[in-house]
Amino acid sequence: MTVPTNPLLHYNPYEAKHQLDLSLTKAYLLLHSQLKPPFPLTIPSSSEYALLTQALAFSLLTQPDLTKINLKHLHASVTDGYDIFTTTLLNLTDNCYPKLLPVPRTQLLFLCSQLIDVAAFKVDSLVISLLRRINGGDFTEPNLWLCAELAKILSDNWDWLVDEPLVLTSALFVFLRLLADHYRLVSGPQLDELKRLEISFCIRVLRNCFHLCLGIGRDLIRLLQDLFVIPEFKELWKDLICDPCKFGVLGFSDLCDIYRIKTPRHYFLLRISQEMEAQLRFLLTHVKWGNQQRYQVWFAKKYLSLPGSETVIVDVIRFICQCYHPSKEIIQSGVISRWAVIGWLLKSCKRNYFEANAKLALFYDWLFFNDTIDSIMDIEPAMLLIVSSVPQYMEITHCLLEFLFLVVDNYDVQRKNVIAKGVLGAFNALVKRGVVHSLEVLMNCDKLSPFLREKLSKFLFDKALVSQEKEIIQMQSGDHQDQIAGMPEQAHQWL
Amino acid sequence: MQKQSWMKLKDLTPAASNSINATVILVEKGSTIEEGKEKTKKCVALVADETACVNFQMWGAECEAFHPGDIIRISKGIFSRHKNKLLLRAGKRGSVEKVGEFTMLFVESPNMSEMRYVPDTNLPSKLVPESQLTKP
Repeated sequence: MTVPTNPLLHYNPYEAKHQLDLSLTKAYLLLHSQLKPPFPLTIPSSSEYALLTQALAFSLLTQPDLTKINLKHLHASVTDGYDIFTTTLLNLTDNCYPKLLPVPRTQLLFLCSQLIDVAAFKVDSLVISLLRRINGGDFTEPNLWLCAELAKILSDNWDWLVDEPLVLTSALFVFLRLLADHYRLVSGPQLDELKRLEISFCIRVLRNCFHLCLGIGRDLIRLLQDLFVIPEFKELWKDLICDPCKFGVLGFSDLCDIYRIKTPRHYFLLRISQEMEAQLRFLLTHVKWGNQQRYQVWFAKKYLSLPGSETVIVDVIRFICQCYHPSKEIIQSGVISRWAVIGWLLKSCKRNYFEANAKLALFYDWLFFNDTIDSIMDIEPAMLLIVSSVPQYMEITHCLLEFLFLVVDNYDVQRKNVIAKGVLGAFNALVKRGVVHSLEVLMNCDKLSPFLREKLSKFLFDKALVSQEKEIIQMQSGDHQDQIAGMPEQAHQWL
Repeated sequence: MQKQSWMKLKDLTPAASNSINATVILVEKGSTIEEGKEKTKKCVALVADETACVNFQMWGAECEAFHPGDIIRISKGIFSRHKNKLLLRAGKRGSVEKVGEFTMLFVESPNMSEMRYVPDTNLPSKLVPESQLTKP
């Protein structure tokens, strides 16, 4: 006799069943008769408990009519702070979310809010995994629905949220980033409601928990800049610039206080999906120079083909610069370099707006570079992209250097000195650590425009800057850890 | 149940039996054509693993199911000559399913479908690639 089950995941023809689906279904088929009252009064063994939890998870996700009775059973039988249950939902979110059918998807979000109510173990990780599932540059209904649901759940559980700084600041990071894309979209009742939710959530967090928001660090400014057109954010900006005391945070009296704080790397995982992360890590760890073309085509087809989806390139570049620092072994093994992948991504930007933001994402760590807290690996890809494009792809070298100087002059005119210092520090560190032997490769490059050569020269030898830095620019690198040594001939053919 | 042994594409030799079990990635897909009175859909794709690649024949609904970048598990497939072309296919008794995407290394040569196979010197009933022919 077969037990009828509602499906959990959507499968296309010829698609293998997912392991998690199989084990949850199996648990349900074994124990489904025990999910009805009367419930046993004995305490189950740990393996029985695990099986029961999985069976309950399957039923809760696929049989919404039985929610009330299943929840009662779950709360009554829990002995581990909901650890196994939440972990099951977490695994489902990380590995299967895109395949979840509409009913299980709705149930998953509902269960998340239930778990917040009981302060379940690991529910913070579940929320963060769900936040990652809001795809950037995806304006389809299911994705916008997820965005709205999470905004509602977090707004409704404010008291819990303020005691979870990591979730709070992660959610802020996500909704600030999404708002920049959503605000530019054409209006409609559903979208307007979503924007209202996002704006209200973000402003509430910024106005009430600014001391926690500071923990996000300098990328917070990058995110807030894109929202200047939104009236509530314009007001916020006015206060940030003209009345910082209004935020009532000791240690915050100027934007420089935020520039000084490096954004912890885990924030950059928030805006790329779990699958995207796996694919990027695979590409940068295993695929050798010369073999990357096919993988790039597949990646672009999957993530960059819909209109507006190129917005995610910004987030991919931040991820590559900050979250993926290859070991020496990987660099020397002939695997495709980060700078080449970034070059391909920049070329994939179809519109100027996205390209400019992508370049800013690439150079952002240069602007406030501090040798004591920042990593050379954050700034290495940009430098290598600039010099590796000489002489075959001079337009890239020109484009990037022009942009860099534009940003130094215009990003924050009032604090131009801070930024110039940061960029100078970046150049110094890149030479000192041997990422490039010296900057002569650019300064003496006759293919580089005289204008840029002069600008670079002036910038590097600016006496005022140099004396502020208290450092003499070393034109020759002391240690020869040349990371571009041994790069194969075809290194430039990343196009 | 008989335990399946998984093989690498470089070890493919043409045979009438359906005994090919391999995990491959779909590199490139040809266009789908409709053949015969029943308008049977057929499509040939280049699939590969880290040792070799081969031409894979898809039939019917398989043609729409798989796309470049898909990681495919072929069970009890056949590697044999069909209209003078050496092709890997699931066949009537085999199966093919998608098990993942992207995260697999591959090579685009040698192509086992383009190999010349000759009888093995020591065991004439067995075919081997000409390049691997052992001395008697």
